Amino acid sequence: MKKKNTGAVVAMVLILIYLLIPLIISVIYSLFSNWTGIIPKGFTVETYAKLFRDPDFLASLGRTLLICVIPIAITIVIVLLALFVTVIYFPRLEKYVQIICMIPYTIQGVILSVSILSMYVSNKSFLGNRLIMLIGAYCIIILPFIYQGIRNGMRAVNINVLLEAAEMLGATRIYAFFKVVVPNILSAIIVSSLLAVGIIFGDYVLVRNLAGSQWQNVQIYLYQAMKSDSMKSSAVFCVIMAVTFIIAAVVLYLQSHEGKTAQKAE
Amino acid sequence: MSYIRFEKLCKNYGDKQVLKNIDLEVEKGTLVTLLGPSGCGKSTLLRCLAGLETVTSGKVYLDGKDITNVSPKDRGIGMVFQQYSLFPNMTVEQNAAFGLKMQKVPDAEIKERVSKMVDIVGLHEQRKQYPNQLSGGQQQRAALARAIVTEPKVLLLDEPLSAIDALLRHSLQVEIRRIQQELGITAIFVTHDQEEAMVMSDMIHLMYNGVIEQSASPTELYTKPATKFVASFIGHYNVLTAEQMKTVSGQSPESETVAFRPEIIAASKEPIEKENAYMMKGRIAVSLPHGNIIRYAVMCGGVQVDVDELFSDKEPFQTGDEIYLAVDKGECIYL
Repeated sequence: MKKKNTGAVVAMVLILIYLLIPLIISVIYSLFSNWTGIIPKGFTVETYAKLFRDPDFLASLGRTLLICVIPIAITIVIVLLALFVTVIYFPRLEKYVQIICMIPYTIQGVILSVSILSMYVSNKSFLGNRLIMLIGAYCIIILPFIYQGIRNGMRAVNINVLLEAAEMLGATRIYAFFKVVVPNILSAIIVSSLLAVGIIFGDYVLVRNLAGSQWQNVQIYLYQAMKSDSMKSSAVFCVIMAVTFIIAAVVLYLQSHEGKTAQKAE
Repeated sequence: MSYIRFEKLCKNYGDKQVLKNIDLEVEKGTLVTLLGPSGCGKSTLLRCLAGLETVTSGKVYLDGKDITNVSPKDRGIGMVFQQYSLFPNMTVEQNAAFGLKMQKVPDAEIKERVSKMVDIVGLHEQRKQYPNQLSGGQQQRAALARAIVTEPKVLLLDEPLSAIDALLRHSLQVEIRRIQQELGITAIFVTHDQEEAMVMSDMIHLMYNGVIEQSASPTELYTKPATKFVASFIGHYNVLTAEQMKTVSGQSPESETVAFRPEIIAASKEPIEKENAYMMKGRIAVSLPHGNIIRYAVMCGGVQVDVDELFSDKEPFQTGDEIYLAVDKGECIYL
C-alpha cells in the first residue's frame, strides 16, 4: 500500500513539475534582464511597471475581459432557454439540440472565421460589424462547453419533480425553471463559464481574423510584444495567467461564499 | 353533493388504457386512500386530479366546478410527492413560503403562517436547514408543511412514505392523519401498502387494472371483500376454488370461490371437534414470525392454507408438524 502511495506521489510531482516549469521560467524571464549563466541576473520589476503604465496594454486587457463576458452571458441564456423548452415540452428533440451544440467542436477557428467573414463582411446591417461577428464566433466556439456543462448539471437534479412541485404551488413553469432549477445548477454554469473564459482568453485566430486592428485584445498585444521584447512578452503572458487565475478564484469564492451566507442569512 | 368527483374518467397512454371509466366521489374533510398494486392506475388518477396529466375523456369536478382543463397552478391543490421534492436551494422555511409568495400573501403573514405550519409538522428546530441537512422523514414533513400552508382545497399525497423506513413510516402515518383531522383537510392518499391504507383512511378505493374494484371503509373492506382480487389483496385472505375446498375439506361449498382470513382458522395438533365448519388436515411447510403473530403455510392435500397464530408462551408448531384446522363456515366469504 505504501509503495503504491509513493508511486502516486512521484507521478503527481513529475506532472506538477512538467506543468509548472514553463510558468516558472516565464515568471523568471519577466523579472530578470540577463540570463546567460546558470543563475539569472538583473532583477527588475520595471517591465511590469511599464506594462501597467501602457494605456494600450490596459485597454487590450479590458477588451479581452469584455469580450469574455458578453458571449458567455449570451450563450448561457440561449442554452438555458433551449434546455428549458426541450426538457419540458419536447424531450425527444433533446438529442438534436445536443448534436447541434456539439458541431462547433469539429470546426477549426480559421475555418469558422473565414466562413463568417465571407458570409457577413459585405452585410450592411449590424451583422457586418466586426465586433458583432467576433462575439457571434465566440458564442459558437464556447457552445459545446457551456451546453455540456449545464446539461450534466441538470442531470444531477430531478427537474420534472421540482417543476411539478413548483407548479402545484402556483408557479409558472418558466418561473419555476429559473427560480428553482437554475439556482441548483449554478455550479455547473460557473464551471462551464470558467472553461469558456479559458478558451476565449487563449484565442488568437478568431480575434486576429475577425476583429484584428479594430479590436486589439491582449493576445494581439502579446503577439506584437513577442516580436520586439521577450521580457515584455513574458510579463504580458504572466499577467494574462494571473488574470485568469484571479477570475477563477473570485468566481469560485463568490459561489462558496453565496452558499454560506444563504445559510446564515435567515 | 360530493366535494371531488371523477366522472367517467379515462386515461390512455398510446394504445394502453390505464384508467377505465372511473366514477369516484370524495366527501369534504375526509381522507380517502387509493390503494392497489403497482401499475393499477392510482397515481395516474391522482395526477389527473392535480392536472399533471391530461385526461383522455371524462370530467373532474372540485367543489362543484369542472377543473378538467384548468392548469395545475390554478387548481388550488397541494401535493406531496413520492420522491423528495423540496427545493434544494431553499431552507425549510423558504420552501414552505414558496406557495404563499406565489399567492402574493404579505410578508408578515407569510412569516406567521410558515412559522405556525413548521411547528405543526414538528420542524421548528430544523426550520433554517436545507433539504440536504434533513433526514427522509423530515424532508417529507417539510414537503407536507409546504403543501398545506397554502390552505389548498385538496391535499394529494402520492406514496409520500414509501422511501421511509418502517418505524418512522408508522409514526408519520399517525402524524399525517392527526394533522389532516386537526385542520379538516380533504386529502387523497395513494399507497400500495394495505396496512397504511387501513391506518389512515376514512374510505379506501381499491384499484386494479385501471378500475375501482371496491370502495368501502377500512373495516368493511377487510371483513367483506367484494371480489376475489380484493380478498387476495386485503388481509392475506386464503382464496380457494370450490374444487380446492373439496380437496382440502371434503366438502363442496355452494359458491365458486371461498375466502377466509388466516386468523379465523383454529389450529391444533389434536383433531378438532366443531360444528358448521370446514375441517382440514395438513403439514406445516413454512413458519414465518410476523412479530405478534406467526404465519404458518400449511399444505393440505397439495393446497396451501395460511394460518395465523398469536405469538404466546406456548410452544408454537414446528415445521413438519401435522396439524388439524377448522374454518367456521359463518366466517367465510363466498364469492
